[in-house]
Amino acid sequence: MVDKTVRCPNCGRIMTCFGNPGEVIKITCSSCYLEGKVTFNKTFQSKNIAIEVTNLKKKYDNLVAVNNISFKIKKGEIFAFLGPNGAGKTTTVEMIESIRQPTAGNIWIDGKDIKTSFNDVKEKISILPQEFHSFEKLTVKETLVYFSKIYKKKADINNIINAMDLKDEEKKYYKDLSGGLKQRVGVAISLVNDPDIVFLDEPTTGLDPKSRREVWEVIASLRDRGKTVFLTTHYMEEAEYLADHIAIIHKGKIIAEGTLDELIYKYGDESILRIQKSSSKKTANILKENGFNAYTEGNGDIAVKIKYKERILEILSILKHECIEYENIDIRRSNLEEIFLKITGSKLLENGE
Amino acid sequence: MNLIFVFHDLLANIKGWLRSPGTVFWTILFPILLILIFGAIFSTGDEIELDLVVQDHDESLISKEFVGTLKNISGLNVIVLDKEKDPREYMQDEDKSALLAIPKGLNTTLIEYIETQFTPTEQFDDTINFTMYVNPSDQTTISILRSIINSVIYKFNMNITGGQSIFGINEESSITEDFGYIDFFLPGIIGFTIMTSCIYGSIERNTKFRKDGILRKLLTMPITRSEWILSKMLFMLFLSFISTSVILIFGILVWQISIKINLFVILLIIATSFLFSGIGMIIGRFVKEQETADMAGGAITFPMMFLAGTFFPLDQMPDFLQSIAQVLPLYYVNEGMRNAMIYGDFDKTLYFTGFVLVFSAIFFIIGVFLTKWDED
Repeated sequence: MVDKTVRCPNCGRIMTCFGNPGEVIKITCSSCYLEGKVTFNKTFQSKNIAIEVTNLKKKYDNLVAVNNISFKIKKGEIFAFLGPNGAGKTTTVEMIESIRQPTAGNIWIDGKDIKTSFNDVKEKISILPQEFHSFEKLTVKETLVYFSKIYKKKADINNIINAMDLKDEEKKYYKDLSGGLKQRVGVAISLVNDPDIVFLDEPTTGLDPKSRREVWEVIASLRDRGKTVFLTTHYMEEAEYLADHIAIIHKGKIIAEGTLDELIYKYGDESILRIQKSSSKKTANILKENGFNAYTEGNGDIAVKIKYKERILEILSILKHECIEYENIDIRRSNLEEIFLKITGSKLLENGE
Repeated sequence: MNLIFVFHDLLANIKGWLRSPGTVFWTILFPILLILIFGAIFSTGDEIELDLVVQDHDESLISKEFVGTLKNISGLNVIVLDKEKDPREYMQDEDKSALLAIPKGLNTTLIEYIETQFTPTEQFDDTINFTMYVNPSDQTTISILRSIINSVIYKFNMNITGGQSIFGINEESSITEDFGYIDFFLPGIIGFTIMTSCIYGSIERNTKFRKDGILRKLLTMPITRSEWILSKMLFMLFLSFISTSVILIFGILVWQISIKINLFVILLIIATSFLFSGIGMIIGRFVKEQETADMAGGAITFPMMFLAGTFFPLDQMPDFLQSIAQVLPLYYVNEGMRNAMIYGDFDKTLYFTGFVLVFSAIFFIIGVFLTKWDED
């Protein structure tokens, strides 16, 4: 949604109205009741937006795979598009990549409408498709050189190899690499044109935890290089670890969107601060007296529900002031898994189902 | 057009190909093995023994000499049949594939020929024909026996007349008397090899690359479909010329085949590569799973290989199979190649090459038109 300020041609009243880029809406002057139309520009003006999607829809016969979704991705951030398998993640990202044609809606990449100008943005973007496999009998370096020949804009291949920590593998055939290394090469391939925007579609699916962590580090390094990353994943912890901004998609609809903190604040339960092995039996009462929702758990630990992280310091200072000693303090806050469960009523399992 | 990429893609494909022993095998060694194995079987006949029933109606010195020559051929088991017996009945009862009837009057014809040699004013222009009875269901044996009988008759003609044919055989064969089976076989192997490598190559590009996400990636890259298809076609042509060269070199070195390399041969190799790449693209469009597509490729290439006259002359096949062959592109490729590189028949070369070019244009254009990178 974008806003536009208009002046009534009859009475001069200034009004703000909201609509989608390219949309024409009817308005009525709140002062003189004159009716008129307002047209929103097709291209958005914000220079900080890398991708904007409005009212995107994809329908297959009777199945609506993506149902009227809209979101914006800021330049330089990692945007995680999170959801279970079949939620519409890949369909959405493939519509943004022009691999699939949307049934309805608009997509802008770097300010350009991809319906008409996708060729203009090809040099600026790069994708790592889901379950991507490169040419088996080319070495890592040959593979990177091969893909770089397609682009006019070229990054230094040796720099990419070093940055992706592939120096030891550069002479190995792609087929001889482990799953994690193959994905790392996949990310490296997506950097050969020094793109502004990188699309990574489920880059860690099927990898063991160690390899997954390694790929996370590589993805995190993309943000450090100033790239905008569109990451689709069904791993909650991947989104939690990497994303600056998260959109959760479920059954073709975006059900929650924001930073991790925003999502937890909006949808999550209160965080629980747990004081283990407290020296005083009155700890819970003291905290209650100070306005905290505290209680003693079965094992004797004190649990305190807190909404704002600033209150942690307050608790610590009370404990100090009352000379209460403790063995350990543990803080646990809601995670995306719990948020997903809370919003949808269903679990998002490890395999994405 | 990004020709740098086209060139680079070609080099990458060649590198990948050279690093795949299995692929190199199918492209080079397999046709060589076919040439060597089939050549060994059909050119020397040393390793197999075939029955040939001979019925001598002349029972003269020359006819006995002829039978004796046949008996001396290793791998040939000559069975002499009483001249009073019915040849067809005998073949049916004894399950024999071929029977050669030496005609009555063989000796007389020879004497007449010799007499004319002493009378310079007279010319001998008579030919006496042997009759060959064949069982059409056993084309392999007949084909070999026909080659052998033809070569013996040719040898007799050469020894007696120095070249004039006074003895002939009254069954027409598509293999002219000057050519052996291997001459017939070699162009067929070239057509067959180009067909398989192009069809499977196209299938791989359209199914494996789709599965591996390469086609999806290409869609988002600044490369056009024409650049991609051009570079792949150059690679297919590279493979076609490599395998053709290898087959020709082995054919010449091992079987001393006389090959005519001309513009038509080059044109046929190029057109055949485009033709079967087009068919592969069509298969790849409709059958998206790689394993299924490979099976579909096999379902098209194998019957075509057997029915299009790759291994055996078409005119030795039953009529209904001959009719099927007329609509198979590989038949025109095989015949075009044979006439261009072996028989040197310009008219037939032109005729068959024309068909190949038309097939090639139709299938390649449909293939390119149907090839899709994007998803529904």
